[in-house]
Amino acid sequence: MSQSDLDEELSLEVGEIARLLSYILFLLVSAGMFFAAGDIPTSRFEKLGAGAFPQFVFAGIFLICAIAIVLTVPKIPARAYGQLFNQAILWARKCYLVFVCLAALGVYLVAMPWLGFSLASLIFLFGLQMALLPRSLNTIFIAAIVAVVFSYGLNMLFADIFTVFLPKGVF
Amino acid sequence: MDSFLIGASQIFTVTTLAYMLAGSIAGIVAAAIPGFTVTMAIVLTLPLTFTMEPLQGIAVMLAVYVGGYTGGLISAALLGIPGTPSSVATTFDAFPMARGGEAGRALSMGVWASFFGTVISTIVLIVAAPPLAMIAVKLGPWEYFSLIVFALTIVASLVGESVIRGLIAGLIGLAMSTVGSDPILGRSRFDFGLETLETGLPFLVVLIGIYAISQLASEVEDAKSVKSGSKLVTGAIDFQTWKVMREVLTRPVNLIRSSIIGVLIGALPGAGGSIANLVAYDQAKRSSKNPDAFGTGTPDGIVASEAGNSATAGGGLIPMIGLGIPGSAVDAILMASLMVHGISVGPRLIMDHSDLVYGMFIAMAVASFIMLIVATLSMRLFLRVAEVPKWIIVPVVMICCVVGAFALNNRVSDLYLLGCIGVFGYALRALGYSLAPLVLGVILGPIAETNLRRALMTNEDPTLFFTRPISLLFLIAAVVSIVWAIRGHMKKRKTEERLFDAAAS
Repeated sequence: MSQSDLDEELSLEVGEIARLLSYILFLLVSAGMFFAAGDIPTSRFEKLGAGAFPQFVFAGIFLICAIAIVLTVPKIPARAYGQLFNQAILWARKCYLVFVCLAALGVYLVAMPWLGFSLASLIFLFGLQMALLPRSLNTIFIAAIVAVVFSYGLNMLFADIFTVFLPKGVF
Repeated sequence: MDSFLIGASQIFTVTTLAYMLAGSIAGIVAAAIPGFTVTMAIVLTLPLTFTMEPLQGIAVMLAVYVGGYTGGLISAALLGIPGTPSSVATTFDAFPMARGGEAGRALSMGVWASFFGTVISTIVLIVAAPPLAMIAVKLGPWEYFSLIVFALTIVASLVGESVIRGLIAGLIGLAMSTVGSDPILGRSRFDFGLETLETGLPFLVVLIGIYAISQLASEVEDAKSVKSGSKLVTGAIDFQTWKVMREVLTRPVNLIRSSIIGVLIGALPGAGGSIANLVAYDQAKRSSKNPDAFGTGTPDGIVASEAGNSATAGGGLIPMIGLGIPGSAVDAILMASLMVHGISVGPRLIMDHSDLVYGMFIAMAVASFIMLIVATLSMRLFLRVAEVPKWIIVPVVMICCVVGAFALNNRVSDLYLLGCIGVFGYALRALGYSLAPLVLGVILGPIAETNLRRALMTNEDPTLFFTRPISLLFLIAAVVSIVWAIRGHMKKRKTEERLFDAAAS
């Protein structure tokens, strides 16, 4: 087996560990939510209370996650657990633009009520395009035009034509 | 006959046809933007129709409606993001086909399937509106709950590479639908004291977050390709209008079955296009000789989904015209527009205003033709989207998603929800969970819970689910569906094991 095949196998095994962790997380959350649903007051007007349906659902999640854990654990060799952290770092480095995009979106959404839709969108669009684009004068110019059109332009379209007013901000 | 001619004479005027053309374009464009639904497009059109004649106004709104169902396929095929909830299943095959270098064929196929779906539903509407409306209204909560149980078995077809993860995703969708006040007594549940969660998770925000944000994030996973200015879709873009029309027509069984599913589901109040496309896709997959091809860009998947969702437009009018009961939010708005003009919608509508009803039938057919012309001519423009590099399209579509999520309720807190659900959706996608079952769970959860509790409030005897004939029929169909799915998965596993053994030896 070549080195690249070994790396791929290791990456698959570490992927299984990540999924196993997700099953455990869902199992724990569903257990907690099951009991929380049991605390919802019932009504004398109906057989099932407001908590009954959620309890069915969370019991189902708990059961299936338990089955998933039992089926997954034997598939993972012991050596893979030691590689989890290293492989996670490698994956994060490879997909760094995903984190850039999601972080930019998060900052944009939080800043919008203060900056207003137009200004926040202008900064978000131009900033994210700069992070993603192949740098040249031409692409930077296009990015600037796109940022203006889809921030101030979109705001004008919604306000003047659809009478839908996007957040104005405090500035 | 006189009524038919009066209706036709009102539709075939230059003014009405021009308004319908504008409506069709507006519907296609609105639904093509992720986050903007057909309902939103119709709501925005409603005030514009107040000054029109009643039939003219309804015709314009029907044009928006029919155009909107088709427009959803544009972002589904080109971006892998359902433009509207009714085009979720379209992403399964149209997107892989577009990614395989056949973006034009994928769009063209969707347009033709939508056209035929609308035409078939109009024919069914004309022939079967009164009897179907009578059947639809006789269904009680027992039948509705059993129908939803049957619809939930579709999850088995949508699980993707892992049955277990598909089931977990479906159940997470159901769990998400329980957030907020309960649908019967309004008791608050799982809102953690947050005002935003008191009314539940808005479905559209969940859809945009789960599908759009996670899809956009996954587009930039390969940093090298993004930085080199790569486009969304590569390969020659050819619309192949007539060739694809023949290709769609060579699938008559799939086309008719999917359209009838769309009509029937559309006729049930509360169901609609968001379920019809998934059910039609599921049935096409189950009856296919090659079910494994579904999800890889097969034409049958696109035909089933698009014919199914477009046919709900006609189906939804059945209870409205026959009984005065709106089948969906869009039908309620159509009803409102008639009431604004002083026309009461109810069982007497067809007797008192037969020219209007026949006019609506004609308007549906004309709207589908206008949609076909507009779509055929404009798809070349839409296909230009595929040529835009990812570094532009990803941030711009994110902005559209944000605007769509905000415009729904004009609430900033919905934007925070969008961000959180987007990150959650990307995590699920990265871990190999299929997202379609989750969306199905969110759609079906409230309908299942409401009808289960309503049935048991009406009569505490749970055996009624099995003793009422239509309810029993749906439950039997659900059992058959599960057995069929298990058989399919076992067969697939055996084939894979055989291939693995053959490769090893």
